[in-house]
Amino acid sequence: MDTLRLLASQGAEAGWLSESFSYAFMVNALVAALLVGPLLGGLGTLVIAKRLAFFSEAVGHAALTGIAIGVLLGEPPENPIIGLFCFCMIFALLLHFVRNRTAVPYDTLVGVFLAVALAGGAALLMYVARKINIHMLENVLFGSILTITDFDLLVLGVSCLLIIVGLMFTFNRILLASISPDIAKVRGYNTHFYDYLFVMMITLVTIAAVKIVGAVLVGALLLIPGATARLMTKSMGSFVLLSSLLATLSCLIGTLLPMELKLPIPSGASIILVAASFFLIATLYRIIGGRS
Amino acid sequence: MGPSISLNDVGLRYENNIVLQDISVSLDAGKCHVIMGPNGGGKTSLLRSILGLTPFKGEINVNWTDSKGKIGYVPQKATFEPSLPLTVLDFILLNQSRSPLFFNFNKKHKVKALAQLARLGMADRAMFRMGQLSGGEQQRVLFAQALLDNPDLLILDEPTNGMDDQGVRYFESLISDLVKEQKTILVVHHDISAVRRLEATVHVVNGVLIESGDASEVLQTNKIEQLFNHYRSTPVADVVNDSTVNSEVA
Repeated sequence: MDTLRLLASQGAEAGWLSESFSYAFMVNALVAALLVGPLLGGLGTLVIAKRLAFFSEAVGHAALTGIAIGVLLGEPPENPIIGLFCFCMIFALLLHFVRNRTAVPYDTLVGVFLAVALAGGAALLMYVARKINIHMLENVLFGSILTITDFDLLVLGVSCLLIIVGLMFTFNRILLASISPDIAKVRGYNTHFYDYLFVMMITLVTIAAVKIVGAVLVGALLLIPGATARLMTKSMGSFVLLSSLLATLSCLIGTLLPMELKLPIPSGASIILVAASFFLIATLYRIIGGRS
Repeated sequence: MGPSISLNDVGLRYENNIVLQDISVSLDAGKCHVIMGPNGGGKTSLLRSILGLTPFKGEINVNWTDSKGKIGYVPQKATFEPSLPLTVLDFILLNQSRSPLFFNFNKKHKVKALAQLARLGMADRAMFRMGQLSGGEQQRVLFAQALLDNPDLLILDEPTNGMDDQGVRYFESLISDLVKEQKTILVVHHDISAVRRLEATVHVVNGVLIESGDASEVLQTNKIEQLFNHYRSTPVADVVNDSTVNSEVA
């Protein structure tokens, strides 16, 4: 990373790159964007195929409670990763476990879990506010490129590697298990295993993306590039690739733009606004082209 | 050679609703068996029990001659979201290969998938979205999927639903070919005249096994109304007794 930061700094000094690249935190943020973008975009296509948009949103919102628990248990408020990881994972797995054992419609169940997690988080934040400056939490909730460290990049890199390797072997089976679970079962695939694996992947990527996109907005980045790509593509392969590209571009542009334009907005908000712009353009293109 | 299947006192209930009761029958290997019966009679539940997709009471044994062979399955209905860019070719590749769809550059996989689609007359629809196909076309693709691994046991739940005449005729000739290859075929069908054309053993199910035998014996015109009576006016246990009487008469 030091070499990369040095090269970026030299590039900025030589005038090849903008002045923003001379800041180490900006290089860290762009590397994080390059790592997390393709992953969020790729997984987002499965979120759409499995109709789990509301679920991924709920996991993101559950992060609020995870952060509060982590801080209350003594973790550093700028990086309460253990509390975040444990709570989000338990939340997601429990939700999926209950889903398989109740007749309550899934969206209703997610709504109940989401409300409980948010209410719990809101209650705990009152206690957290006594320990730290509550505004520090904004960085975790809405993303801040200033807070990304080399350790965060390492965690992000390992998480991305794990998920990408996992997806290379399981993508087809996860997809088949969602669109036609009976056929998948007859073929001998353990559909419950693939469902839980996917839930764990979503949770892991949510946690990995918290620093750059923010816990509250990460669900949106799982959804919007996929929704955009769905409007523009004609096969699953191109759907995944375009979604990954759009998510990566959103992350890069959304990280860079506020710095270049000197706008005081969090990186998460900026990234989501860029992603939403792509969606708007694609929707208009479809409407004008009459191919909705 | 396909397997034989034996069912012993198989029963299935959803809460207070008894769907199947006391089903005992032996399905010979290498033959075509057609399950018929009125709506809600438990035909699909019986297939799902044999496939292990539904918990049941009793015993079901699939007896393979050598090692366990491949099973092909065509569900009654599959719902594909029209806006999802899942093409016909994608769907076949999903079932055929582990290489992720976004990283599948293996031409052999595509050639094999297209050949399978061509067999069912769907090669020219390979790049259509699954959700854009008609019901009959979707059934053809599901059929192509089921035949991918050259299965020894083929289980089909109303495979000709929505199919045009050409598709039905092709289906019938394919079933005939597969029986010649000694595959075991188990198919839920509701078209009596189509079943008469198949050389098959017919099992009529309406909560219980009403009658089993050759199509020519079971599907006699004077018995059809009685066999396919939609309503179970009597408790299932009584129907069992009635069916025993019917069998004896037949």
